[in-house]
Amino acid sequence: MSQKKNTSSERDNPMKDAVSRAIKLRVNRVWHEFVLERDVQPTETLAYVLRERLGFTGLKVSCDEGACGACTVIMDGKAILSCMTLAVEADGHDILTIEGLAEDDPVIAAFAEQSEPGYGTAMQCGYCTPGFVMTAKALLDANPTPTLDEVKEALSGNICRCGCYTAVAQAVLHASQKISTQGGTHG
Amino acid sequence: MGNPYKPRVPRKFIGGYRPRIDGFDKASGKVKFADDLTTKLTFPDMLYARVLKSPYPHARIKHLDTTEVEKLEGVRAILTYEDPEVKKLKVTNAGWTDGVDILSYDRMMWYPMRDRRVIGDWARWVGDEVGLVVAADSESIAEEALKLAKIEWEIFPFVLDPIESMKPEAPLVHPELRETNVLPEDPVGGPDVFVEKGDVNKGFSEADVVVESKAVHHNPNQGSLDNWCCLVEWKGDMLTVWSNSYEAHQTRMHMSQMLDLPLSNVRVICSYVGGQFGRNDTGEQPFFLYTAILAKRTGRPVKFRHNNRESFLNSRQPAIYTARAGTKKDGTITAMTFKCIGNAGAYADQTMFALKFGPAEIAEVALAHVPNLKMEAYGVYTNKLPACMMRGVANSQFNLSFGQIVDILAEELDMDPIDLAIKNFGHEEESLPNKSLVEVLHEGARRIGWENRHKPGEGQVYGHVRKRGMGFSFHPGWHAEWQETRRGRIQVRLMLNPDGTVMLEAPTVETGSGSNTCNFLGCLEALSFLAVRPEDVHYSQVVDTETSLRDCVQTDSSVAYLQSEAMMVAAADLKKKICELAAPKLDAKPEELDIEEGNIFVKASPDKQMEVKIWLMEETDLAPIVATVHRVPLDLNTGIPFIATFAEVEVDTDTGEVDVLKLVVLHDCGTVMHASGAEAQQLGGQVMGLGEALYEEIIYDEVRGVPMNFNWIDYKIATMADFPPVDPVLMEVWKGGGEYGACGIGESTLTCTPRAVLNAIYNAIDVRVDELPVKPEKILKALGKI
Repeated sequence: MSQKKNTSSERDNPMKDAVSRAIKLRVNRVWHEFVLERDVQPTETLAYVLRERLGFTGLKVSCDEGACGACTVIMDGKAILSCMTLAVEADGHDILTIEGLAEDDPVIAAFAEQSEPGYGTAMQCGYCTPGFVMTAKALLDANPTPTLDEVKEALSGNICRCGCYTAVAQAVLHASQKISTQGGTHG
Repeated sequence: MGNPYKPRVPRKFIGGYRPRIDGFDKASGKVKFADDLTTKLTFPDMLYARVLKSPYPHARIKHLDTTEVEKLEGVRAILTYEDPEVKKLKVTNAGWTDGVDILSYDRMMWYPMRDRRVIGDWARWVGDEVGLVVAADSESIAEEALKLAKIEWEIFPFVLDPIESMKPEAPLVHPELRETNVLPEDPVGGPDVFVEKGDVNKGFSEADVVVESKAVHHNPNQGSLDNWCCLVEWKGDMLTVWSNSYEAHQTRMHMSQMLDLPLSNVRVICSYVGGQFGRNDTGEQPFFLYTAILAKRTGRPVKFRHNNRESFLNSRQPAIYTARAGTKKDGTITAMTFKCIGNAGAYADQTMFALKFGPAEIAEVALAHVPNLKMEAYGVYTNKLPACMMRGVANSQFNLSFGQIVDILAEELDMDPIDLAIKNFGHEEESLPNKSLVEVLHEGARRIGWENRHKPGEGQVYGHVRKRGMGFSFHPGWHAEWQETRRGRIQVRLMLNPDGTVMLEAPTVETGSGSNTCNFLGCLEALSFLAVRPEDVHYSQVVDTETSLRDCVQTDSSVAYLQSEAMMVAAADLKKKICELAAPKLDAKPEELDIEEGNIFVKASPDKQMEVKIWLMEETDLAPIVATVHRVPLDLNTGIPFIATFAEVEVDTDTGEVDVLKLVVLHDCGTVMHASGAEAQQLGGQVMGLGEALYEEIIYDEVRGVPMNFNWIDYKIATMADFPPVDPVLMEVWKGGGEYGACGIGESTLTCTPRAVLNAIYNAIDVRVDELPVKPEKILKALGKI
């Protein structure tokens, strides 16, 4: 059957080595080099490479088709869905995962501390949280003092099945206040 | 928003507004979920399993040829329905328990409904795991391998609709088991008519007003982001499973019983779970077994993970409820009947829990003063995805009917439905009115502005086409008085280190419910005599059956208080042990000593005292002091608390769109264990509650029997943009047994939401839409516009 001629047999094709090339990803300020078809397959997503090959498991792969936002990372300053980005597309680019944020990052702190009456906590199970934090960080980097409507607009690509939307929005506003006080985010 | 509740008993730790204990770890991505613990980096030699999913709603594999599968490079093992390891697996069920207790194969709750063959040759729904599993070097190779199998199918007629399925001529879903699609009598919940009190015919004949209603609930999906997975690794005859199942010890029991291994040879590690929501994972799903067999065969760790689309593998049980109620003119109910037909889908699992077990409890605690009451239920097999367990099982479906008939009855009597509810509903042990119900409904009315509610359809019209309305629904809090006695002993351990720090063991799989923070606060509260500070307590959130006590299963919204109650007993034991150890030093008998603020002293002469941790470090053998407790939960007649949701909506009569303007969500908690966590539940539950009411819907191609939207593009989950203002209201009116006498709320946060919204829609437009979800076309149809 023609289907049998698959990627794995192509992988061992010596002719492929002749055209193989390396890709480089700068992740959390460190460059990582991969030889295509040896270390990384052309079909592998950025999310897969970050998690399974580099161990950055903060981002999550849930829907794996761009619907939930759990895999959000920041590439060249913009929040992107790493499940919808091939690793080869990120060649030469600057990627920030949640592991690259400072321990005292104001966005992380605001999410962690969120608890005032009427809003609940900014996470329950926490599976979506790194995606929300990275989306929020990209928003605040671009717009340090967003309105509530701007927060809602920016974060509506992320699903929180536990439903902590009210508290997440509040946490982003608190993070904004922290940034004004501290003068800038880290990472 | 921002009306903090006032605790009935002010406490140092329990009840306050404070962050979650795992807030930082979760916000910074440091928490490791099962999928994070089982990466290629951690298990470089691991294989990936993929299973064949039936493309037909009802078919049998006549012949399976795996010749081409075997030839594909990277395929390491092939398992089919004809293999001896598969054939010898007992016919099973994916719900041995309802998620509360630990049960063996022989003692499974719904034993007449053993209807699952693990990767058998027969497929009963599109998506059914059938016939073939492959382990390969990558998921994509395994997936490709499945496509190379040559399968000869025998295709059978199918049935999707439960009413059609009940007819004698319907195709049988389980012809090997039954000559009808109606499920057999339930050994747990009783006969089809499972509640029969008084004489309903007499009750209706005495009534001045009799009304009838019909309400149809659908099959929303749990929608956990953390797709269900496992990795199995063998070392000799020792098997280790990493999983995001929520019931570690039941998973161990399942593996042990099905694979014929001693319990001590099965180690189950359950780390954090990314949302559980009643997903049908008491641990008996077939994928644990075939993954284990493949790992055994290959001698390598094997991982199986559903993808997001495959995670639509069960749902809430769709229910068709019909109800009838009769009252005197003054609103005194003389008779009620409820009849339910539940669509079990292709496998029964815990179907009967939704149909009988849950509603029977409601009858005891809320309908106890209805003199004539009849409840009946039928579970029906169809060729749809299996359906039973989801957050608030049974209660959500029942409430859709209950809150409707109360609303209809009140309108017929020209009475406020709040007054009608207070007049009739309460616990069997109490006289009416129920204090909790009175306070919950009156507070809800105050917060939503109930006095402004108009008669149906008679409100102001906004922008020529938009009409507003208010509604509410209410429900008893569940399991509050018997505190889950069927669960068995609750095990916790407190270990005091000689430096005054504490190792807390209160095993329960952390699914996000917030019980971990409640346990942490409960520990601090229980050990306040030692002046233990939050930074002194270490609490592992990972359950590992090799070392953990039995895990308190994350179900029934009860873990927030069950383990904290046990900790009070453990703390008293710990205090006794410290006094016994210190008695010789203080030259007194242990019973003559007490401990306060970290100091142990002779009660009769308090100046004879010493600081516990300094004495332990400087003068003892430095061995930790340990108190382990196995506590049987209390079962006291304490009555029951109530919950309610009030809704205000705006309906666009041109487009049929419903805009929820405000929700007020009220819970009488007994004792609020962690206020911020409880409010997070009250708010968060509305994503599901509103989803069930308005947005979420599994859509089938009725002609081909194929589900059309098993993905989150077409299956709509509310995002931040869809989320309305919600007022979370925590109350402490009722009190149960024990130190805290609390009642869980996690599931019940969404129980009343769909009905509250539907009643509000009716109040807005004067036409009832009784089938969930209420999408715009149903509104327009009800208004006669399409």
